Amino acid sequence: MLKLISLVAAVIVWGLLSLTLPPEIFPGPIETARALWGEIAGGRVGTDVAMTMLRVVAGLVLALILGVPVGVLMGLSRRAEAMLDVWVMIGLTVPSLCYAIMAFMWFGLNEGATIIAIGVTAAPSITINIWEGVKNIDTRLVAMARVFEASRAVIVRRVLLPQIYPYVMASARFGLGIIWKITVLVELIGRPNGVGFKLFYWYQLADMRLVLAWTLLFTIIMLLIELLILKPIERRLFAWRPQVAV
Amino acid sequence: MNPVIEVTSLRKIFNGRDGASRTVLKDLDLTVGAGEFVCILGPSGCGKSTLLNVLAGLDKAYEGRASVSAGRVGYLFQEPRLLPWLTADGNLDFALASCRVPGSRWSELKSRYLAMTGLSDYRDYYPHQISGGMAQRLALVRALCVEPGILLMDEPFSGLDEITARRMRSDLLSIWQETRKTIVFVTHNAYEACFLADRILVMSNGAFRQEMRVPIPRPRSYEDIAVFELSRDVIRSFGDEIGREPGPVVTPVTEPGITEQGLVDDLDRHTAARMNI
Repeated sequence: MLKLISLVAAVIVWGLLSLTLPPEIFPGPIETARALWGEIAGGRVGTDVAMTMLRVVAGLVLALILGVPVGVLMGLSRRAEAMLDVWVMIGLTVPSLCYAIMAFMWFGLNEGATIIAIGVTAAPSITINIWEGVKNIDTRLVAMARVFEASRAVIVRRVLLPQIYPYVMASARFGLGIIWKITVLVELIGRPNGVGFKLFYWYQLADMRLVLAWTLLFTIIMLLIELLILKPIERRLFAWRPQVAV
Repeated sequence: MNPVIEVTSLRKIFNGRDGASRTVLKDLDLTVGAGEFVCILGPSGCGKSTLLNVLAGLDKAYEGRASVSAGRVGYLFQEPRLLPWLTADGNLDFALASCRVPGSRWSELKSRYLAMTGLSDYRDYYPHQISGGMAQRLALVRALCVEPGILLMDEPFSGLDEITARRMRSDLLSIWQETRKTIVFVTHNAYEACFLADRILVMSNGAFRQEMRVPIPRPRSYEDIAVFELSRDVIRSFGDEIGREPGPVVTPVTEPGITEQGLVDDLDRHTAARMNI
């Protein structure tokens, strides 16, 4: 309910602010929604949204494949931590644009390069989350499991992993947020389709109605993913957790 | 009584990061008979927990001999150490599965020990939904339901409030009388040791300083004056060894040149205060 009120309030503020500038530069919510509806009704969003989604998902998978093992390693071994933490920092610092340019120059203007650029950019922030998570593992529970003669596999599966899940979940969520932004940027500089391409296209034609329409579309899709996919997963995984009463 | 725990010349050295090494267990000898209830009494940091870890097989880097021949070991830690994402029932299942107890016996074992500790109605609760005392009780059920030959307990009641701890001690004694497990119980509380044990070993600085039998007949009552008198004697004679640990009770600062008698009185008060007498 509160969510709904705040959304409605945001739309009203947007409407009021848009009155301060001419509509072709800052269109209001109604005009933007109408433009968006025009795009959807005209069947012009399907391919671009699908391509962007594909890159986002593939990029996220790659980022997790790269980021999780490094994070686990750094959490487990002091030596690995000392060796790798500076690289994680460097990885975080290099702008995504640089990764995109390098990927396109080295691997060509193709989907593979796009996904590599996205995955590599997002991996360090995933690593940091997992690293923290592994460091916070309660080793007293591991000792408990060993007393009960639990095998190594059981300890990993039933004692360690459940402690890391929250961090994997948080980093996937956090990673997704970053990845959306990178994907749009990468599409802008090197792909002939996708949401980023469309944004840039309408920007070049100076059509702010459609720039905002695509931004809105994008935001709605993200919200839906959060509410319909991530939240329910989280609720199921962490049903055991106490409710924090404030 | 045939011995189920035999420790000879057990020595354990910790190597610090700065290269300095510290001997935490100094040539310990210990024999515990089947069905015996032994308390190891000593201050924090005297090596009690290290000894238990060796007996439990958690720590394998030691010199000397330590053999436990009573089959499986049950361990009760200072904290309950329950898996927070599993219900009470799930936590018991975890232990039973890890120890490879045949599935056909699970429900009988769980019911039996849950009933013994009064937790039968809490099977579906998560650890955060029950009190600290109940969580520790559940940990005791978990240790018992894998049917260990011996039970190792590392200050299991020191984190509980005194009323709860008292009840747990009495319950532990009745469970012990019913099951006749061999128990090695580590504590820094002299009163607790005198109430529970058949035999007390006073430990400090990695060595046993003294060994004594507890002559109080069973069943014992927690309010029994004999327990109080014995614990006072234990503190009097080994006060130096066991009185010095950082506790929640503020001891008066001892002046230089204080008499022996004064020191003993302070320790006595300290312990009495800790035990809420």
